[in-house]
Amino acid sequence: MLDGLASLGQAYLALLMSPTSIALGMAGALTGILVGCLPGLSATLCIALLTTLTVKMNAHDAILILVCSYVGTLYGGSRSAILLNIPGTAANAASCADGHALALRGEAGRAIGIATSGAFCGTLFGVVCLAAFTPLLARVALSFGAQEFFWLALFGVTMSGTLVGDDPLKGWLMGAFGLFVSQIGQEGIYAYDRFTFDIPALSGGISLIPALIGAFGFAEVLTRLADPVERKLVEMKDSIRPRFDEVARYWRTVVRSGAIGVLTGLMPGVGEDSGAWMSYAAAKATTKEPELFGKGSIDGLMSAETGDMSSIPGHMIPMLALGVPGSAPSAVLMAAIIIHGIQPGPMLMVEHPMFAYQMVAMTTLATISILIFGLFLVRPLLLVLRVKHSVLMPIIFLMSVVGAYATAWRLFDVYAMLAIGIGAFFLRRKGYPMAPFVLGIVLGNLLDKSLRRGLVLTDGSLLPFFARPICIFFATITIFTMLLYIPAFNAAVHRVIGAITGSFKSLIAWRG
Amino acid sequence: MQPSIDNPGSAVPAHPAGGLVTPRSDFFAALAWIAFGFAVSIGAWRMDRLENQDVPPYAVPGLLPFFLGVAIMFFAGLMLARSWRRGALAAGAPRATRMTPAERKRFLLVLGLCLAFSVLLVGHGLPFWLAATVFVSATIIVLQYQQRRAVNQVWRGVVISIVIGLCAGFGVTVVFQKIFLVYLP
Repeated sequence: MLDGLASLGQAYLALLMSPTSIALGMAGALTGILVGCLPGLSATLCIALLTTLTVKMNAHDAILILVCSYVGTLYGGSRSAILLNIPGTAANAASCADGHALALRGEAGRAIGIATSGAFCGTLFGVVCLAAFTPLLARVALSFGAQEFFWLALFGVTMSGTLVGDDPLKGWLMGAFGLFVSQIGQEGIYAYDRFTFDIPALSGGISLIPALIGAFGFAEVLTRLADPVERKLVEMKDSIRPRFDEVARYWRTVVRSGAIGVLTGLMPGVGEDSGAWMSYAAAKATTKEPELFGKGSIDGLMSAETGDMSSIPGHMIPMLALGVPGSAPSAVLMAAIIIHGIQPGPMLMVEHPMFAYQMVAMTTLATISILIFGLFLVRPLLLVLRVKHSVLMPIIFLMSVVGAYATAWRLFDVYAMLAIGIGAFFLRRKGYPMAPFVLGIVLGNLLDKSLRRGLVLTDGSLLPFFARPICIFFATITIFTMLLYIPAFNAAVHRVIGAITGSFKSLIAWRG
Repeated sequence: MQPSIDNPGSAVPAHPAGGLVTPRSDFFAALAWIAFGFAVSIGAWRMDRLENQDVPPYAVPGLLPFFLGVAIMFFAGLMLARSWRRGALAAGAPRATRMTPAERKRFLLVLGLCLAFSVLLVGHGLPFWLAATVFVSATIIVLQYQQRRAVNQVWRGVVISIVIGLCAGFGVTVVFQKIFLVYLP
């Protein structure tokens, strides 16, 4: 405990003593905010492009820029949600209704102030949890074997497929497809080429960064440019100062949403938007003014922004401690961390004991940066929202090509990005979510190696996959989640829950 | 439609999902998925089992891909059954909304420009800044042509587009190649 606090203090001190690092972190946060302001450009794309830009920098500075841009992008997304009624990133979608309603009432500045203070408090809440829980989870994860990692990977893809998007079936299909894509190329145990069709470039597999740039960058360029409608920006007339008085008034909402955000962040593959939507739903369920939700509720806007921002450090916890990312942006962040020679997972606290604490310090700097930029750069940032799609999107595509190429200097990666982007464009139109696909690509290797290693260790027996305590936990949730899709099973579960709730209520009534 | 992480900015989708996704479109998509899953399973089954290296049958390279193929077929089978139950093959079942001719034309135009840049211009000897300038300028000119023509500002638009293209081409080249030392195609 004391060692942890000392390491944390050391990480903060090291960051404070380096003006260059602070400047780079703030530049990363500002870049993130600018990207976040632009509707359609996601945190995933921002981190993927910055990964290629920073690939030659030293590991600490590069990761600092990426972490700060991650936080900045999700914060910046609230601007377009409030002023354009289009969320800059998916995580800001819950802020649209109330934020834009406030803006239409002439209170755009107030809405931005609330979003800024909610984002600041939410991220700070998450940072405390990141510092407290990462070492604990990493210690637990040291007892994980191949069987546990098999279930963890499967659990991540299944949960992502279930919770992201509207149709779990399509989510699971995309998860399985992502897992398949990760199997292309040389496998990690016997160096055997799978599904390469004698094409040498395929032996290296489909790299994550080009795949992500295709799915989130090129597909978005095609979507935006196929639809030429430009949205009208709401003018901002009132003051933009952060509303910490309103944070004090709605402290219950902030604490509740912060906790929900971190908890959803802990679930692999769920995404920041779930943190925002669940916090929003919880706030609506507990407020005294539910009729105001969707019509400019302060409670609603505060809960959505706090929930999505606190889920960022939440997603970093399983990414660092287990090597299983909580969302698509954290998946790219994990890939970038690996590129820089640090392997997230149970051994992280052993091999790089300071790294988790450095991440805490980096996220804190990002939090302070968004507050500073939220305070002083509001009106200049709004200029970004006025850039036309027809100008912006070709430049985004240009950077996507560079981003796909620059990690491995292979034109093949550019072609892979194009193919995945075109595929993602059509799949998205048909309601297929991309997050499970990304998680599938990230976790495919872990799933494959864990399955085969686990079977080798048990001489082909499947029993340990279902008998070890942690396996039982993950297997139960994974199988239960999928069975819920069967109407008869779902109805039976609801009947049982209804009966238990009824008995509980009658018991309370009897005691009362 | 609840926006999702992969579909940023979709609170107000450009295309109503109800029109784009119908039981009929899901039915045919499910058939394609089943065919794909079957191909994956067959490919995995026929994969070398490395018996000459004494690899046990439960550790062969095709093990997980085989199960993934089966899983894809299973989920696609469920989607097929669901869409059939929802009347995918009933007479008069609604067809998925296709792109309007204007949308299709714009989409194909943008796709053509992107492919021309990334497949033909990049990596074949042309300096990156020049290829980038040509692509950005041409795309902006093409996309804004109708609007510019309506206000009689075609040549003004061309000049502005070339300036933006030059700034983008040089800017990206300088930032990536000179400042961050990233090798460009």
